[in-house]
Formats: sequence, structure tokens, C-alpha cells
Amino acid sequence: MPDPNQGPDAFEVLRDLLAGQERRRLDRLEREFDEAELTPEAIAKHLPEAIALRAGQDRKLARALGPTVENAIRESVQRNPSQIATAIFPVLGPAIRKAIAEAMAGLVRSINTAIEHSLSIQGLTWRLESLRTGIPYAQIVLKHALLYRVEQVFLIHAETGLLLAHAAPPDLKVADADLISSMLTAIQDFVGDSFKTAEAGGRLRTFSVGEVTVMVEAGPQAVIAAVVRGQAPDTLIVRLQEVLETLHLQLARQFARFNGDAAPFDVAQPVLESCLETVLSTDRRTPGPGPAPWLGWAVAITLVVVVFGGFSIRSSLRWNAAVTRLRAEPGLVLVLAERSGRQWHLSGLRDPMAADPRMLLAAMGIDTGKVDGRFSPYLSLEPAMVVARARRLLGAPESVTFSLEGTTLVARGSAPVGWADPIGPKPVGVESLDLSRVEPVLPAPGAALRAEIERNQVLFDVGSAALGGGDVPIRQVADAFRRLLATTGAATGSIQLEVIGRTDPTGTDATNQALSRLRAEAVVARLTALGVLPDLITTTGVGVVQPLENPDAAEQARINRSVSFVIRLVRAG
Amino acid sequence: MIQKKICMVGVFGAGKTCLVQQFVHSIFTAKYHSTVGVKIDRKTVQADGTDVTLMLWDLAGRDRDGDISVSYLRGGHGIIYVVDGTRRETLDQIFELRTIVREAIGEVPSVVALNKIDLKESWALTPGDDTALAKEPWHILRTSAKSGEGVDATFNWLAKATVAGASR
Repeated sequence: MPDPNQGPDAFEVLRDLLAGQERRRLDRLEREFDEAELTPEAIAKHLPEAIALRAGQDRKLARALGPTVENAIRESVQRNPSQIATAIFPVLGPAIRKAIAEAMAGLVRSINTAIEHSLSIQGLTWRLESLRTGIPYAQIVLKHALLYRVEQVFLIHAETGLLLAHAAPPDLKVADADLISSMLTAIQDFVGDSFKTAEAGGRLRTFSVGEVTVMVEAGPQAVIAAVVRGQAPDTLIVRLQEVLETLHLQLARQFARFNGDAAPFDVAQPVLESCLETVLSTDRRTPGPGPAPWLGWAVAITLVVVVFGGFSIRSSLRWNAAVTRLRAEPGLVLVLAERSGRQWHLSGLRDPMAADPRMLLAAMGIDTGKVDGRFSPYLSLEPAMVVARARRLLGAPESVTFSLEGTTLVARGSAPVGWADPIGPKPVGVESLDLSRVEPVLPAPGAALRAEIERNQVLFDVGSAALGGGDVPIRQVADAFRRLLATTGAATGSIQLEVIGRTDPTGTDATNQALSRLRAEAVVARLTALGVLPDLITTTGVGVVQPLENPDAAEQARINRSVSFVIRLVRAG
Repeated sequence: MIQKKICMVGVFGAGKTCLVQQFVHSIFTAKYHSTVGVKIDRKTVQADGTDVTLMLWDLAGRDRDGDISVSYLRGGHGIIYVVDGTRRETLDQIFELRTIVREAIGEVPSVVALNKIDLKESWALTPGDDTALAKEPWHILRTSAKSGEGVDATFNWLAKATVAGASR
């Protein structure tokens, strides 16, 4: 009997000895009982975890399930295909659409490129240029479609300005990169010194010359500079900054130790080359919302243009021509010219002397029914209007033309004697009237009276200035002259009666001169006595000068012992 | 390939530009002197069996005062001082320039080119001047832009001196 004071271990040993066999059997039964608990319910409860657990351990489960799943799907499809199709449709739809869209977009892009480069006017122009200059077509396209091209990238030692590395495309020959590198540094120094920006840490960063832009980014040890042809994008400067930072990180020791040997910087070459790029405008083309609209729109727009464009262009041309015509017309001020639908709205100012806008439009073959014109009266000072007003005010005959020289209206041509009074009322815009260049003429009835006056002659005896008994010619002249003045209604003084005394050639010139004068005065005295105003008479004694001619000497002497009459028309002004 | 930045200084008219003109490769015109104040040329020479490319910064000499753009001196590996041997005052100005250069970049290999040696009759430097010059740690050469005398020697000496300085 063990001593109970020996502890639990001794007790366990004792129990095993006594009931060990029974206990082991009991354990086995208990286990079997537990295993009998693996009912479908129990499996269902643990299956997901079990599968996940096993799948995580190895691929046996997948391999075991594979054939079963395949068979299951095959059977399902054979039995009812629509079911599985419905099931996978949400996945397939977008995938197919995406594939088609990409294919179409590619097609449209290539169509675009083909059209742009081959069929367009631009494309043909480029082909012609290529033929003309002998430069390959691809290069011509490059030249014209170039958005930008990073042509050179310099890595420059900040302190010495010496070139550390340089990248350029193989087709671009670049000589003297080292000289450019140094000079670029010198220019940086120059700008820094000149504008005192160096202290503030400011440096020359980007400058453009023609189509070339030089972008410069400076770090503590080195400067990176890119020569860009075309429109340099802002993103490029960021790229250069990143490259410079990377190089500073990678080559910190080499920078610090640099003493003229650029060999350690050969590793920077590929990094710089990665900055070289050529971007064409065609590269930037986005496919747009989709391929079909592109073609559809092109066709639709073409049709619309062809069908309606003709009408529209014609109408537009007419409208423009009409507006231009009205604007050019003197005395018309077009303030508003609008089209709404088929109706034309025109409004503005119109000088009463100006042409009627409707008549002008009608003359252009425009249907004035659709024209709504409103013009308020005004007085235009345009020369054409001033002249038109003057012509009306002065009652100028067609034979007179006018020109406006400053504020002086100058009349030219011929007009009935005394038709206008230079000091009479003036039209608006005219301060003085110049009639001195108008040739006065006698109207038809006046011409007959003139002939009647000038036909008359008063004869004298030899050496005498005494009027004989017959003053018939003088009366006739006085009467005809009075009628002439009445007929023409001319202003006072514009028609003058010239009384010319003559002598025969005998006697001295001085005597003859005096005698001729006396004869004329005798006739004038008689005329004034008959009521002719002295102001309208000019008295002249010509002696033997300007004799009246006659082939017979005696007859010539007789007709020159006389006084004759001439009507003179006086120019106004 | 080794590159070295060499600065050429000297007062206006000392003949700096003429001195190197026919011996260097240049793509910039003399116009740069009056605008940017510096013109850069290149000269490649052999020094101890290796090619050394000298980037020559020809600094515009201002008239009279020894004022030069100190920024252009920055990082210079060597200096060429040009003296007009027929004008005594250009020598004094070299000493002023030397002070400016030393303050800006410290002590670097330097050559004094006593130029216009071809004009023997009007030579204005005295043996005393030579003694004064010899006291300073610079290499002295007599040069002529006309004959080319001493020019290559100037470049060769500087190439050697700057390369040796770098390896020291």
C-alpha cells in the first residue's frame, strides 16, 4: 500500500495498475463516439474551412477537384447552355466591348494618319516639298508635325563650366559641345552678375531663341541643360530636375572629386539620353469618343455643307455686298445691320439728299420686301452731300460741276449769266462760293437780242462826234438791251453793254483816239438819256486800232467813223 | 580626356585675344567681349602623353582699372596674365589682377605672358621688372602674337602644371 503522503504521482501509478485496461478501452470508445459525430451536418459546418486549409497547404485539392469541375461544367452546358452564358455575360460583355473598341480605335488612328499624311492638302504639300527639296518625306513630316524635340542634353560641372556628359540623337551632328557648355556657364554667370540674382539663388533657367528653347536646371554640383526645338512642355523641366537629382545622388563623390577628367561621368550618358525625345503632333492625337462618330460626323458635315452651304454662302455674299454698298453710300450711316432668318433689319441715319437705301438694294437685285429699314434724317457733311445740297440750293444747271475745297465750294463749267450770287445764302458746310471759274453764257432768247444789239451801228461825219438827226440805232440798242436784261433776269452788272467809238485812218492817232472817245461818249449820253443805267455801260474809244474790216478802202473808212455795240458777259466773283 | 578651365586676364589692349586667336578653336566672335565680357575658346594640347583640353576663358579687360568679373574666374584651374611689354603700366595692373584672382580662387598654376616681344625697339620692361616678376610663384614667358613665339609654350606649360596639380 503506497503511502498517500507520497503525492499525486504515486496515486496515478496506483490507478493505472488497478483500472488501466478499462480506462484505455473507455478512451477508444469515446474517440469512436466522437468520430461517429462526422455527420453531413458536421461536415457542412467545417467544409469551407477544411477546403481553405487544404488549398493553402498544397495543390492536391485543386488537382482532385479539377476533372470533377470540368465534367460538371460540360454537363451543365450540354444540358442548358443559356444558363452558363447568362452567368458569365457580365464578365464577357465588357471584355468584348473593350477588345472591339481598341481594335476600332487603332483602325481610326491609322485611317487618320493615312488621310493626314497622304490625302490631305497638307500631306500633298509635304509630298511636293519632299520632291522639290529632295529631303525624305519622313523628315518633312517631322519638320512640320514636330511638337518638340529634345535635341541635346548637357551635364555641366557647376563650378568650372566644363562639360561632364552630353547626349544628342545620332542623326544630329553636334560639334563643340564643350565650348557651348562653357559659354552657357559664362552666360549664367553674366546674368547672375548683371541682375544680382546670384545672391538670391536665382539663376537663368529657361530662355528661348526663335524656335529653340534652352532649359537649364542647376544643382549644387552640376547643371543640366536641354536644348529643345519646338514647343517645350512644362513637364520636361520636371523631368530634368528628377534626372539632376538622381545624378547628384549617384555621382556625389565623382562631383566632389572632379578635376577635369570627365570619364567617371560616362555613366550619366544613358540617363541624359533618356531625356532625348521627339514628339510629333500626330503622336498626341486622341481617338476621341469613338470611331463611328468620327466617320459619321465627317459624312454628315460634308452633306450639310454641300446641300445647304451653297444657299448659305450665296445669301451671305449678298448680305455682305449689300451692307458694304450701303456703308459706302455717301449720306448714309448704317448703325445696325442684322439678319434674323430671312428678314433684314437695317437702321441708321440718312441725309435727305442721299440715295434711298431701298432703291440701292433693289438695284442690287435684292428683294426689298424682306428689308426692314429705318433711317432717321440728318445733315451729312460728306462732300458728296454738301455738293448735292449746294446744287439744289443754287439751282445749278447740269453744265456746272462742283468741288469742295475745304469749306469753299468751287463751281466750274458754264452757266447762264448771273445764275448765282456769290454772296447769297450758302448751303450747310460751305462758307464761301467760288464762281470765278464758271463761263457765263446767254440763254437762247438772250442770244437773239444780243445779235440785234450788236448789229447796230451809229455812223458819224468825218472829224465829227456829233450825233446826226437819226438816233434810231441807239433807241433800238437801248430797247433791246432793256429786253435782254429782263429776259435773263441776271444780277445787276453781270451783263455789260460796251460802246466802242472808232475813227477813219486820217489824222493823227492822238486826235483819232480822242475823237473816237468823244463819239462813244455821245452815244452813251444818248443811251443814258433813254434810260439805260450808266453802271451797265462801258465806254471805249479805240481810235484806229481794231478797225472794222471792209475790202473797199472808202467803205472801210466810212464804217469806222462810227460807234458800235458789244454785249459782254461778266464772270461772277 | 582631361579638361581644364584656364582664365586669361590682362588689361584692355594687352593683346590677349590676338595672342591666342590663331592657335585656338573658337565658335564665338570677339563681340562676346563687349556683351557678355568673356569669350571662350578651346585648345587641345598633349601633356605627359594625354590629351588635355584647355577651355580658355578670355576675360574682357576693362580699361585702366583692373576690374574683371570675378564670377568668370570661379573654378579656374589655371591663369594666363597677359602683359603688353611695350606699355610699362600693364605690368603694374597685372599685380593688381593677381590680388583679385588670388582672393577669388586661391593659388593656381599661372603664366605671365610678356607679349609683343617682336617690338624690341619699344620694349618698356627693365631688368628690374624681371626681378620683381621672378619673386612671384608664376611662370614667365615672352610671347608674340605676330610670330607665335611662346604661345604654344604657354599652353603646354599650363596643361602640364594643371594636370600635375590635380594628381598631387
